[in-house]
Amino acid sequence: MTRKTIFISAATAVLATAALVLTGPVLAQSPVAQAMASGSVGEQSDGYLGVSGTVNADVRAEVDAINIKRRAVYTDLAAKRGVTVADIAAATGCQTLATRVKAGQVYRIGAGPWQTKGAAPIPLPDYCASTQ
Amino acid sequence: MSDVNVETERHRNRDKRSASAALLCLLVGGCITVKAPDKPIEINLNVKVQQEVIVRLQKDAQDLIANNPELFPQ
Repeated sequence: MTRKTIFISAATAVLATAALVLTGPVLAQSPVAQAMASGSVGEQSDGYLGVSGTVNADVRAEVDAINIKRRAVYTDLAAKRGVTVADIAAATGCQTLATRVKAGQVYRIGAGPWQTKGAAPIPLPDYCASTQ
Repeated sequence: MSDVNVETERHRNRDKRSASAALLCLLVGGCITVKAPDKPIEINLNVKVQQEVIVRLQKDAQDLIANNPELFPQ
């Protein structure tokens, strides 16, 4: 191989490694995503994330941060629609329970116990009526 | 003095009619009594109204989730 070829191969290898290293943390699951996969964080019917059992401080911090941002978005939309924040939150809770909880993940209805979703759809509270 | 104690025929008929009406009432047993309920009548519309509000918001909720996917990790 010529020196030029060697140089190009080496450069490519370095760049590829750098790309992998830099994107690694981004591609890896966030603490909350990992916790959701392991069943310690789940969706609640009230529209917020909840913690089942004990979790690390970083998981709890991320759950709180997400819930705060959710509440801000709910408040925004509630003002536009002329309804209460709780109504928007509950409606979103209906949707997350209906469409976002995967089998094996945990969820909670109201102040009830944490349950694990199986293959069947989650039985929604009455006020959700029919969700699409 | 006799006219004081004299009941006219009309009075007698009236008495007969009211007496028979009362008897009929008792026989039928369906005397209508009008009685106000003890407690004020309470109608709770809030439950139904809230349900309709949340049902109506489902589409908005779908859009909200779609527009903020980072807030809904899976």
